[in-house]
Amino acid sequence: MAAGVGQLLLSCEGACVRRDGRLVVDGVDLELRRGEVVALLGPNGAGKSTLLDALVGGVAVGGGSVRRLGRVAIALQSPELARRSVLANVELALGWWGVRRSERRARALEALRLFGVDGLAARSAVGLSGGERRRVHLARALAVRPDVLLLDEPFAGLDAEARTALLQDSVAMLRSPGRATLVVVHDRAEAFALADRLVVMIAGRVVAGGPPRELLAAPPDLEVARFLGYDGELFGADGRLLLTRSANVILDPGGPLAARVARVVPLEDGVRLELEVSGDGWSGRVFAVSPLPAPGPGDEVRLRTENGVFLP
Amino acid sequence: MSYLWEQLRAAVPLIWQGNGYIWGVTWVTIRVAAISTTCALVLGLPLGLGLGLGHFRGRRALQLLANASLALPPVLVGLFVLLLLLPPSLLGGLRIEFTLTGVYVAQTLLALPYVVALTPAALRALPPGLLDQARAFGAGRVAVALLALREARIGVLAAVIAALASTLSEVAAVIIVGANVENHDQTLASAIVSQLNDFDNIPYALAIGVILLTLILALIGALTAIQQRGRGFALRVPAR
Amino acid sequence: MSFLWHELRLAVPMIVHGNPYLLSIIWFTVQVAGIATAAATAIGLPIGVALGLGRFRGRRVLIWLANAGLALPPVLVGLILFLLFVPQGPLGGLRLELTRQGVFVAQAVLALPFVAALSAAAIMGLPAGLLAQARAFGAGPVALAALAVREARIGVIAAVIAALATTLSEVGAILIVGGNVYGYDQTLASAALYEVDAASFADALAIGIVLVALIVVLLGGLSLLQERGGGIRWRFRPLS
Repeated sequence: MAAGVGQLLLSCEGACVRRDGRLVVDGVDLELRRGEVVALLGPNGAGKSTLLDALVGGVAVGGGSVRRLGRVAIALQSPELARRSVLANVELALGWWGVRRSERRARALEALRLFGVDGLAARSAVGLSGGERRRVHLARALAVRPDVLLLDEPFAGLDAEARTALLQDSVAMLRSPGRATLVVVHDRAEAFALADRLVVMIAGRVVAGGPPRELLAAPPDLEVARFLGYDGELFGADGRLLLTRSANVILDPGGPLAARVARVVPLEDGVRLELEVSGDGWSGRVFAVSPLPAPGPGDEVRLRTENGVFLP
Repeated sequence: MSYLWEQLRAAVPLIWQGNGYIWGVTWVTIRVAAISTTCALVLGLPLGLGLGLGHFRGRRALQLLANASLALPPVLVGLFVLLLLLPPSLLGGLRIEFTLTGVYVAQTLLALPYVVALTPAALRALPPGLLDQARAFGAGRVAVALLALREARIGVLAAVIAALASTLSEVAAVIIVGANVENHDQTLASAIVSQLNDFDNIPYALAIGVILLTLILALIGALTAIQQRGRGFALRVPAR
Repeated sequence: MSFLWHELRLAVPMIVHGNPYLLSIIWFTVQVAGIATAAATAIGLPIGVALGLGRFRGRRVLIWLANAGLALPPVLVGLILFLLFVPQGPLGGLRLELTRQGVFVAQAVLALPFVAALSAAAIMGLPAGLLAQARAFGAGPVALAALAVREARIGVIAAVIAALATTLSEVGAILIVGGNVYGYDQTLASAALYEVDAASFADALAIGIVLVALIVVLLGGLSLLQERGGGIRWRFRPLS
């Protein structure tokens, strides 16, 4: 097999992991190929961190198998750094990985530079801000140049600004032709920004997978659709179910559906409307976002839908 | 090894059948432990509460001093107390030098640091909002102190047990201040030292040692039980 | 008070003029403290690291044992060693009874639990994520141990401080194992006891003052080292 982009670097078949008797990872199949960035998305308690633990070899798989071609590095959820300088922290990791002493400094500085924190090299890791910590933590994981890189919620715990900045920097930095990257994210926006491929995990199982836009356009079932942000449901007289997101629902005085505004929640740039639809063969509840001026609670409006998803 | 067995076998009847001397020593030990720890609590709890709850200048320095006093060698405390109690000296008029009462004084002084230094540590382990909330509801100083004491009771209890354990093991101050007089003011620990001066008395030393060990084990057992029931003392070794 | 002053004025020249008896005791005390603490650290630190980091069967039992060692009265340790070293005992052939070497051994045994249990506690207090991350990067047991000791250096130094403090002030085991022989194997603490027994209060005072000074210098020095490492923490006794 050619050792180029697309080469299978890690494959996991039917992996099961038990913790305290509970099946936390329940028959997961997963493949990671060179050059791709995969986002693992799921609610709390879905088993994502445990799966990563199994992929790196930190915990044994009870059933199924994990095959690795190359070295796997993981950046754990909590960015723990030793009480030393930032540079020393990265060099330490290189040392543990087995990199020759003479090469460590250069690689450490290069990795820190990628995330814009090479200026902090001499600073003690103890006084860093949350964003700086996360950057050093990421730089450390990249510095060892693994074949497979696993990142567990690399943006967790950051305030909105720091998160946006780091996310933007990461989009370019995480992609590398020589490496497969798996990022556990909590947030759909992060998944969309970073990944070629999305894997959705709920209650220990993989319930959906595929390129983000395709997955969004055609979720396999109701649970995944809800998880991907489809918050509106319309039941048709013919038994069909239409799922909508706010972007799919547009207020249109000439639209085919009649609705009543049930609730209004103010947003920064407009309002979010909870609409109860009834009549014209459709009933249900959908959500929409409208700029100001917007209708108030109890108002009757008309709307149309675009690109919602039909579940047979 | 057979020699050891011999001595052990000679020691067993001393424990089982109750030797007068040994029971006397045990009784003295219990009295010393109880009285000194109680006095240390009466004197030390208010100090510990003040140190743990108060906000005044020099609090950190006092806390450091209290912690340092934990490291104070019992020999020196015993020496100091004795020099004060000797007839020509300050408290000489009390005539308690070389008596059990003197031992009470010395042991109280030795137990005091445990209460004064470790109580604040237990108090600091309380959730910070708890006492502030009480104050916000109008609780006065005494009420807050009682609340804190109640909530931190496990930590304070651990400190008390630490004080008791050290009182049982302590030797230097007892020997200095009390002169280790047989059948008068020997504790279990100091009796072992005196009995081992004579090879014939090894069984006595062994018997006393077994009783001392039992008492200590009982204390540690009590501490463990209390900690399991409660939330746990902030300073204990976490078993992960 | 005049009594105290009187004895004090007799004591000071002994210190200032370097009374040879006093100097020899000081020298022996420093030797005991140094050797015992060094041995306790050399053996106890690896044990503490293994207890703190390891995941092996029986680990909880060993931790409990180490903590129990902290609560064990030095007199009992002295008694056990005495029985081992006595000519008819199992280690009698080593001829350690009533010798200096015996004192070294006794103090090292006493200091060992301090280093082992307290350093294990310090390491167990480290954030779990750091060690897990190091393991994930491929750090082997030696690298993990180095990381753990370095990260927990404040607590580890506190453990050594505690061991040193006990070495300097301990009396019971030394009396039993060494015999407190004048001019041979007396430490400052045990010599103070000896002099009080002989009613040489001035001598005892002199010894006591030097002991205080030695403790302040040694423990203070180590605490400064600890502060440079990032903070001060004094001895605490996790008794469970």
